[in-house]
Amino acid sequence: MARMHVLLVEDDAVLADGLSRILQSHAMMVEVVGNGTQADQVLQRSEVAVVVLDIGLPGIDGFEVVRRLRARASGVPVLLLTARDAIEDRVRGLELGADDYLVKPFATAELVARIKALVRRNAPKPDALSLGRLTLDTCTRRAHIEGRTIELSVREWAVLEYLLQHGGRVLSKQQIIDAILPWGDELTLNAVEVYVSRLRLKIADAGVTIRTIRGFGYMLEQQ
Amino acid sequence: MTSIRLRLLKWLIGPILLINLAGASLTYMLAWIPAQLAFDQGLADAVGALASRLHVGSGAASIDLPAEAEAMLRANDIDALYFVVRGSGARVLAGDRDFPVQARNEPGAYESTMLGEPVRVLFRTSRAGDEKVQIGVAKTMRKRLQVRSAIVRALVLLETVFTLALVGLIWFSVTTGLLPLAHMRSNLKNREMGDLAPIDTESVPVELTPVVAAFNELLDKVQAGATAQRDFLADVAHQLRTPLAGFKLQLEWLGARHAGDPESVHSLSLMLLSNERMIRQINQLLALARAEPSHFEKTRLEMLDLARLVEPVVQYFVEEAGKKHIDIGFDLQPVMLAGDSFLLRDLIDNVIDNAVRYTPEHGTVTVRCRPDGAGAVLEIEDSGPGIAPHQRELVFQRFARLDDKSSGTGLGLAIVRDIALAHGATVSIADGPGRAGMTLAVRFGRV
Repeated sequence: MARMHVLLVEDDAVLADGLSRILQSHAMMVEVVGNGTQADQVLQRSEVAVVVLDIGLPGIDGFEVVRRLRARASGVPVLLLTARDAIEDRVRGLELGADDYLVKPFATAELVARIKALVRRNAPKPDALSLGRLTLDTCTRRAHIEGRTIELSVREWAVLEYLLQHGGRVLSKQQIIDAILPWGDELTLNAVEVYVSRLRLKIADAGVTIRTIRGFGYMLEQQ
Repeated sequence: MTSIRLRLLKWLIGPILLINLAGASLTYMLAWIPAQLAFDQGLADAVGALASRLHVGSGAASIDLPAEAEAMLRANDIDALYFVVRGSGARVLAGDRDFPVQARNEPGAYESTMLGEPVRVLFRTSRAGDEKVQIGVAKTMRKRLQVRSAIVRALVLLETVFTLALVGLIWFSVTTGLLPLAHMRSNLKNREMGDLAPIDTESVPVELTPVVAAFNELLDKVQAGATAQRDFLADVAHQLRTPLAGFKLQLEWLGARHAGDPESVHSLSLMLLSNERMIRQINQLLALARAEPSHFEKTRLEMLDLARLVEPVVQYFVEEAGKKHIDIGFDLQPVMLAGDSFLLRDLIDNVIDNAVRYTPEHGTVTVRCRPDGAGAVLEIEDSGPGIAPHQRELVFQRFARLDDKSSGTGLGLAIVRDIALAHGATVSIADGPGRAGMTLAVRFGRV
């Protein structure tokens, strides 16, 4: 998979440096600029996968960068960063067409997960998903553990795919139902529990665990 | 310290008592003088009656006073009447021979003593022929004294009743007059902490308006000062966020790079810990500034599903609880309430954080929300050490920490209480089920 091209717009040198190192360690190609004007120029000339954009920038601010980007009808996903947590900022950013919003200081894992989620939303589905020894081939809709094929029902497959797409994220049972039943079929929360307990048996030796979040949902973790 | 009430009472009641006293004396005199005159008239009549019976017989003055006439003169059920009619040379023509009182050189009646009893005496000189005759009449003052004491009794009773009624009326009027002050006082006293809204000048009497206006000006200044302070605090916190974020990322990167060196890992993890504490403290200060009751804007209220508000923090707390092997569970039933979503997120964040922070490793924390009557309740149950009943109020105070071991900021539950207050919700702490740990409940009222 090609390295994801991330444009990082942040005027604080220490934060920009730390962010770019961390993102690079997650196999991303990071281009750092320190002000809004430069960011606007980069976005006009090159195609980036995602923009991580600070709102409080010298020159034109983050809001203006987003406004200009969307005015050019560009669909590049934008994750706003801000030191202010005023709700007006949040609402304004999202109204202007930003896709997500994080308040500094953020948990690094959260930032990486959100960036990946934004890119995934925009990009075609990858051919394969994997965690631990488990691999899901999204074309053939087959699951493998180190080359051995696992037999899964359609619904079990859907649940496992959704969990794997959001590895390390807590997913509520309702979220899982909404994700695997896009056409409004009825499914009880109990049914999700049944699928998960079957999946646990089938992927017991895959080096991953489906952890139960009591009363809420599940989280797929690497062991 | 001066009291308006005491001053008013002193200046009203004192003079009124004096005036009443003067009035009573005047009334006494007005009642007593005619009575005195009437008595003296009685004496004069008696003297007249005796004088009319004088005549000149055999060259000397004599008096024609039969026994019946004398009895009639003396007839009185209460007072004793003494009289004497003396001719020249102290010759007694009639009456009491032992009438001891000599005539005084006074025109009217006067008081004297007779047989050990006070008497009123009237002497008159009359003439019978050529002889000068002195007629003296004395009457005991029993009836007079009776009348006088009756007058005094009536006056004392009347004046006492009047005075008491007046004092009562004055007391009542002063108290009623000062009622707006008491009203204002109780209004000010019942204000929420940090409520610096001006006093409504419409509801105070004209006399208090200048005072209230001046006080409102002061409140304005205090409000402006508080706002400036809060803005400054928020500004500082915001300014610190970016460097702290950079600091944190650099530490994490360094940690990943030196994962193989236990000494570095140890040192870096300590640095990360204090970095996180700084971040937490700053976020808490910002949350506290937001939670200021005077900052609460009713316009921001919207209908919210409590369960939906809890969901976004589930990921964070599952991770936090995971670090301490705490079994965190949820039971989130959809329930609507009117609130400020931003503040409610702060509230939710702080109640769960509090439970996870104070629950020891391998404990349990359960977050619940559900309808409760017409309102909503958010409950957090933990298996931590709990809080002794007498300390349960204490934990809602700013910077209150029950022990030094934990790493809390001491602001969490103060924020929770401020936000709950702003939403008209109550926060209570009870023993956990099976008396282990505790249950913190935030009860929101009717939607």
